[in-house]
Amino acid sequence: MSLALTGIGVTSGIAMGRVHRLTPGELALPEYHLEAGAVNTEVTRIRQAAQRSERFLGEVMTRVSGRGSETARDLLEAHRLMLRDPMLIDATCERISEQRINAEWALAQQSEQLQEEFRRLDDEYLALRREDLEQAVGLVQRELAEQPTTDIDARIPHHLDRTILVASELGPAELTLLSQRRVAGLITEHGAPYSHAAILARSLEIPMVVGVHHALELLQEDEEVIIDGHYGSVLAEVDDSLRRHYAEKLDATLRHRNDLKRYLGRPSLTADRQPFCLHGNAELPLEFKRCLDARVEGIGLMRTEYMFLEENLPDEESQYRAYSNAVRTMNGRSITIRTLDAGGDKLPAALELTRGPNPALGLRGLRLSLSIADAFRNQLRAILRASTLGPVRILLPMLTSVAEIHQARQLIAECREQLRNEGVKIDPDLPVGGMIETPAAALDIESMAPELDFLAIGTNDLIQYVLAVDRQDELVSHIYDPTHRGILELITRIVEAGRRHDREVTVCGELAGDPAAVRMLIGLGVHHFSLPPAQVGAVKKSLIECNSRRCRELVESYRSGNALPDGTDLLTALAERGC
Amino acid sequence: MTRKSLKLTNQLGLHARAASKLVQTASAFDCQAWLEYNGRRVNARSIMGVLLLAAPCGSELELETSGEQAEDAAEAIAELVENRFGEGQ
Repeated sequence: MSLALTGIGVTSGIAMGRVHRLTPGELALPEYHLEAGAVNTEVTRIRQAAQRSERFLGEVMTRVSGRGSETARDLLEAHRLMLRDPMLIDATCERISEQRINAEWALAQQSEQLQEEFRRLDDEYLALRREDLEQAVGLVQRELAEQPTTDIDARIPHHLDRTILVASELGPAELTLLSQRRVAGLITEHGAPYSHAAILARSLEIPMVVGVHHALELLQEDEEVIIDGHYGSVLAEVDDSLRRHYAEKLDATLRHRNDLKRYLGRPSLTADRQPFCLHGNAELPLEFKRCLDARVEGIGLMRTEYMFLEENLPDEESQYRAYSNAVRTMNGRSITIRTLDAGGDKLPAALELTRGPNPALGLRGLRLSLSIADAFRNQLRAILRASTLGPVRILLPMLTSVAEIHQARQLIAECREQLRNEGVKIDPDLPVGGMIETPAAALDIESMAPELDFLAIGTNDLIQYVLAVDRQDELVSHIYDPTHRGILELITRIVEAGRRHDREVTVCGELAGDPAAVRMLIGLGVHHFSLPPAQVGAVKKSLIECNSRRCRELVESYRSGNALPDGTDLLTALAERGC
Repeated sequence: MTRKSLKLTNQLGLHARAASKLVQTASAFDCQAWLEYNGRRVNARSIMGVLLLAAPCGSELELETSGEQAEDAAEAIAELVENRFGEGQ
């Protein structure tokens, strides 16, 4: 019998290994009064600890640069500025000499006072900076305890490829180091799927589950555990059959991954010479490079939510930098940028106030953007400016009516006009597409399609709304079924409308990354897919080896109910060799 | 000692990126630098001090610098603020 803990999966991967608990509690903070004459020693001690921490951050930063993670660099730079801040170290030194107390105690007092000042301002954005302060202070504390963070090797095994690290919380600096040690997987007690560490883990493809309550108490040091990021579960007390099951799964994944690389350069044609087209999903710089390595034709979905975590709302310049970097990296390949799709399960701190009684049915996606028109204009201007550097398309999320498309197009036209007056020429035919992910949009696709330049089916939300199932809710998650005949009916309608109005139809939900599901989609007439770069090899192999006519026959017989009564039967039949 | 009035015209006011730039500029000179806003006086070389001012767009700040390079520092900081921290708006 095994023990399962649940949290939120940040990445979909599997990891197996032994627990190492990274407990900040290991660092006992001594508090005592100093003998006369010991003050200078104590002041030197904390200054040196701060310098060492700063040097450590500097080293981490140079290592991060090669990996192209600008987000991480910005955060590390913020920590470094805090270490240099007179309000932190100088003020701590004053406390040491005035109260004749040891460095640890003085630092704790000073840090608490600063925390209190941040708290008093009661500002969502400053709350984030408070986290930065905590992490910067944590670095110095570790140095003071003569357990310098640079000796992370000494504390945890050098080779982490069989280690699952369990921590209360992880900062970006720690995460970067752990990734270089090739940590197998990460479990944290706190943290949200859109925290800084989670975003980094996703972009570095490290299996991670966050929000696993009491993990540090429940998991024993050196105990064997399995992480299944897809379900957000952590399995302990692993028995033989479970171990074998996951070992096979993991082994197959690794073998497969290497095997699949040779498909990346092959032409995108099915066995019966039907062309298909694979695009990548990417948000951070590293992922764009991964997409290039996977030889996709372009970026089918660039999410922008991560930029809205940082500050109250990001300005035009910082967005322009991110978009233009992406355009330059892709070097002539097209990029589809989706405007802010916040709301539902992913709500940036700055927009917390917009949360209604039922977030899934509330102010989200394009509705939210239209309600914060100034911020939306900033985003549109940044995208339009980036479009002068290479092919860019705009994708509008969560549509329910034609009126919303008109409003968004109106804003885009205004921004374009404004930019023209400022001397920036924007292509008047810049494509504007829409996510078809609500039942309303799918059912009224005949009116929507002519108003959009291309259509993208977001299968995750579409399935959730059509089946009225929240997949995070374990009591109903088994009802979530991508092969439901109602879903296939809607996808068919969208594909047919796309054909009639000559609009490209791309599937960019999770289904597009599933080798069996893409055969079902090609059987439904979908030829464009946008998926995470890690899945491109498997999906491409599956499509190259399939016969699209045979896929269509199988899907049709399933839909008519003549054969294959069950969705799993359909997927099994589709996954078979020679299909 | 040099005194200067500064008016924030960038959209986000003294948010993280602007505050970092200001602190980095103030720290580049051999001087002491202080900012005053809304009855609060902070060291302009302190990132947390500057953030805690929570000064939005449109606010007027008093800058005071003293020391060897007081003039140069005041000018550089004023220029940074006038250029909206290089943010374009």
